[in-house]
Amino acid sequence: MHRGIGLIMVRLFVALAIACLGAIGTAHAQTGPIQAVLQENRADVERASRRTVQPVLDAIVATGSERVPLFLERWRDRVVYQRDADGLFFLVEDEDADPMRLIDIDTGEIAGEVPEDDMSQLRPNSGVRGVIATALVQFQLSDPDPERRAAGLTAIERDPEASHLTALRASIEREADPALLARKMRLERLLTATFDEDEAARVAAIESFAGDIAVDVRATLNPLLATRTRAAETLPDNANIARVLEPGTDIAIDDAYAMLVTADLAPALIDADTRDAALIANIDNGRVAGVDVATLDSNAARDAAYAALAETGAVPPAVTPDERAAAVADHVFFETYNEPSQAVTTAASETLRAIESRVGAYRVVDLGLDGLSLASIYFLAAIGLAITFGVMGVINMAHGEFIMIGAYTGFVVQQLVPNYTASIVIALPLAFAIAFLAGVALERLVIRHLMHRPLETLLATFGISIALQQLAKNIFGTQARPLTAPEWLDGAWSLNDVVSISYIRIAIFALAVIFFVLLWFILNRTRLGLEVRAVTQNARMAASMGISPDRVNMLTFGLGSGIAGIAGVAIGLYAQVTSELGASYIVQSFMTVVVGGVGNIWGTLAGAGMIGSLQKIIEWFNPANTLAAQTYMIIFIIIFIQFRPKGIFALRGRAAGD
Amino acid sequence: MIERTFLLRHPSVMVFIALLALFTIGATVLSEGFGIGLISTSFVKTLGKTLCLCLIAIAMDLVWGYCGILSLGHFAFFGLGGYMIGMWLMYERTKSIVVEQLDAAALPPTPDEVREAIGSQIFGVVGGSDIPVIWMFADSLIIQLALVVLVPGLLALVFGWLAFRSRVTGVYLSILTQAMTLALSLYLFQNDSGLRGNNGLSGLQNIPGAETISQDVVSIWFLWASAFALGAGYLFAAWMVSGKFGNVVRGIRDDEARVRFLGYNVEAYKLVVFTVTAVIAGIAGALYYPQAGIINPAEIAPIASIYLAVWVAIGGRGRLYGAVIGAALVSLVSTWFTSGQAPDIPLGFYTIEWVDWWLVLLGFGFVLVTLFAPQGLGGLVDALVRNRQAVAAPPTAPVKPAEKASEAT
Repeated sequence: MHRGIGLIMVRLFVALAIACLGAIGTAHAQTGPIQAVLQENRADVERASRRTVQPVLDAIVATGSERVPLFLERWRDRVVYQRDADGLFFLVEDEDADPMRLIDIDTGEIAGEVPEDDMSQLRPNSGVRGVIATALVQFQLSDPDPERRAAGLTAIERDPEASHLTALRASIEREADPALLARKMRLERLLTATFDEDEAARVAAIESFAGDIAVDVRATLNPLLATRTRAAETLPDNANIARVLEPGTDIAIDDAYAMLVTADLAPALIDADTRDAALIANIDNGRVAGVDVATLDSNAARDAAYAALAETGAVPPAVTPDERAAAVADHVFFETYNEPSQAVTTAASETLRAIESRVGAYRVVDLGLDGLSLASIYFLAAIGLAITFGVMGVINMAHGEFIMIGAYTGFVVQQLVPNYTASIVIALPLAFAIAFLAGVALERLVIRHLMHRPLETLLATFGISIALQQLAKNIFGTQARPLTAPEWLDGAWSLNDVVSISYIRIAIFALAVIFFVLLWFILNRTRLGLEVRAVTQNARMAASMGISPDRVNMLTFGLGSGIAGIAGVAIGLYAQVTSELGASYIVQSFMTVVVGGVGNIWGTLAGAGMIGSLQKIIEWFNPANTLAAQTYMIIFIIIFIQFRPKGIFALRGRAAGD
Repeated sequence: MIERTFLLRHPSVMVFIALLALFTIGATVLSEGFGIGLISTSFVKTLGKTLCLCLIAIAMDLVWGYCGILSLGHFAFFGLGGYMIGMWLMYERTKSIVVEQLDAAALPPTPDEVREAIGSQIFGVVGGSDIPVIWMFADSLIIQLALVVLVPGLLALVFGWLAFRSRVTGVYLSILTQAMTLALSLYLFQNDSGLRGNNGLSGLQNIPGAETISQDVVSIWFLWASAFALGAGYLFAAWMVSGKFGNVVRGIRDDEARVRFLGYNVEAYKLVVFTVTAVIAGIAGALYYPQAGIINPAEIAPIASIYLAVWVAIGGRGRLYGAVIGAALVSLVSTWFTSGQAPDIPLGFYTIEWVDWWLVLLGFGFVLVTLFAPQGLGGLVDALVRNRQAVAAPPTAPVKPAEKASEAT
């Protein structure tokens, strides 16, 4: 019997010893500080929520372990696993391996292999991952890898928080990279302006931004000045009041009263709908409060009926206008800053005002660049028209279709030559050549036969225009065709956050300058130019001097059309190529020629500059409405023609018309 | 009395009016509303619309063929006329619908409620409910009818006065008129223009107060009205170009400077012609759009006015019947081709589908007409008439064939 009991005792002891050993083993695994924190808050870790995870994170960070950032990153990336057997958390060597090779969180040592089925993955939701990412920022800021430090800064810039400030300041001292240091210092000032506890420090930070037009400064300062409109019986003493609103001038009486109603400071108005609903609800045998329903066909009658109804006590009495005015007069209406510190709001509004005036000045510069780029497009589109009109006195309505031909040439070349740079280099001269030939053909076949009949030329070329447009539609379809710019033309050149211009527009500007110089040279320094000018001034006299007006006309028309082809490639680069591409520029081109004056490239330059900048200026005043901008511009041009019927640079001689 | 002698002096006018009357009676007899139903109501509407286009073509012929002003903006006046009558049609029709709806309510509607309901009914589509100021007379047919004449007339008067006094002529003037119609259509395309932006005015075929009458009958009414307007317009235009006024106007076309040196106030003559033709265009538009049923700003895009010039040029400018022939022929043929009724031509390797190729044909055909038949189809008629008269009797030249309508360049 004793022996039997002894055996049991031995067994018990062994079992106990094994249990103790097991406990020791578990205790050994728990020695790591991060694991300890995780085990303490196991429930919150397993089912982490955005609200409860913060204390756990704080505790993890407080351990001071150098493996905290790695663990947090893995947690954020959903590659932390829990062993089902004992609830311990592990990192894994290879997520897809089975069995998984576990890595101890605190030591980084291999802690055994476990089949995948016996492990559970931690799956923090996106809210929790965001919180983890925020906690990670402070480690990223001190990371040895500069790229990760930069990424950390970007994360703060995107979503700044008060807690970042300390981490950022701590990391500044150890920053070695000068560029990153500058970024950190700047970010520190931005965070200080919003989050620092010390009012003087905030004001100093705000004032340090005087004249800085960067977008992030304005994005930081503007929220500081956010206001809320409030109503009260008297002005509160402690509030940071932005301004007091005078009912009737700053705030409409109706709105003011509505605020009182919202703040429970006055009874609600009986509006028309409520009144009518009340009347309908109280119709009794065709009468409301003794009034015949059929007579209630005006507001006055309905008000009277409602008043009668109110006297019977069936409905609350309406607020009279006098009562309403009195209620509004008894209260004050004001805007308060959400930011309590007055020193901060004052500094912010003053700094911001200085910034805005600088931004305004840069906007004007930006507007000028926009206008210039639009002007260079108009110049390219119109100069060919101006030359043919000036020399031959004919308006070529098919000019827009030559622009279209150029654009489609570019498109076809890009289909054959896949390299964008090479295709543009080929397309420009090819577009010129094709449009040149088309122009010469048009001149030989049609325009030559309609000499001295300008109105008929106008209509005949219009016939060509609709035929060519429809032909293009039949060949290329109605959908827009892309003309892709080479990669080195992607992007934009920017001076600062306000002034920027895309490289394509710079290229078009350069193209316009080149053609201006080229044309100026041809017209003023070559034999052909001399002949062109002679024919422009007096074709008959030129002919008697041995110049062939026929040949000059043909070459001029070809030249003008060829430039339209080049313009087509340029326009196609930033707009889609459609059969209506030319038609949409033709009226602007006519305007440019008419305003500038014909037969003179300076006139076209002036006309294009004027129309381009004018359009941009009008769009600036009314940015939402480009249709209105075009309308006003055309009206302006019609009026302009009143004062300079022959354009800015009036031409003398035969081509000047009657 | 004057009319009679005038008509006797110009037998061609009588011939035209007789043909027009014959055509109208024929269309009525063949229609579904009043006759044997051989032609559909939609084709009656097409015929009625074509008559309106003939009327504006006469206006175009007056201003271009006789006065030498190539206006590329007369469809702006046409569209304005349509908008003016369209406002009344749409307002009154909406009002009758709204009043019917509100009658079902427990309380009789107040005037404010009616106005608000009309406003949200008409302008809800452009995100508004207030009735714009320009609709203040929309409930009065008489005032809107007056506006059909006044609005295009005033616009033409102001624009013409500005343009002519600064001696803008030739292609410059053409471009300027084109700019005018472009500006107007762009303005009307805006949602806050007060005329429903690119939605335009719709439902115009429903005549307020005549809802119960079938469209078969209404279409014939409008055919008659269009025919009457065309006849009256033709008569007026023929009278206008027949006397001394017509001679001065033709003189301006042929050599403006010379007429000015003779002491005539060229600008005033031009202004009168420009304004009067704008009014005719407005009336034509006011008759056209109730038959079309819808008007939107795309109708007055510059291209429409250019087509107008093409019709007149193909028909033969400087002769009124030429304008009518051109407008009727080209617009009907164009409808025939673009509606897919024309048979496609299989070439084996490619099939010519006229829906796609009609514009190419029109464009090049128009160039050929300009090059080889500058007098248009009307010139062919003249040639025929002259040949026969040369055989039968000495020529009387009913309407003088136009010379080259050109300015010195």
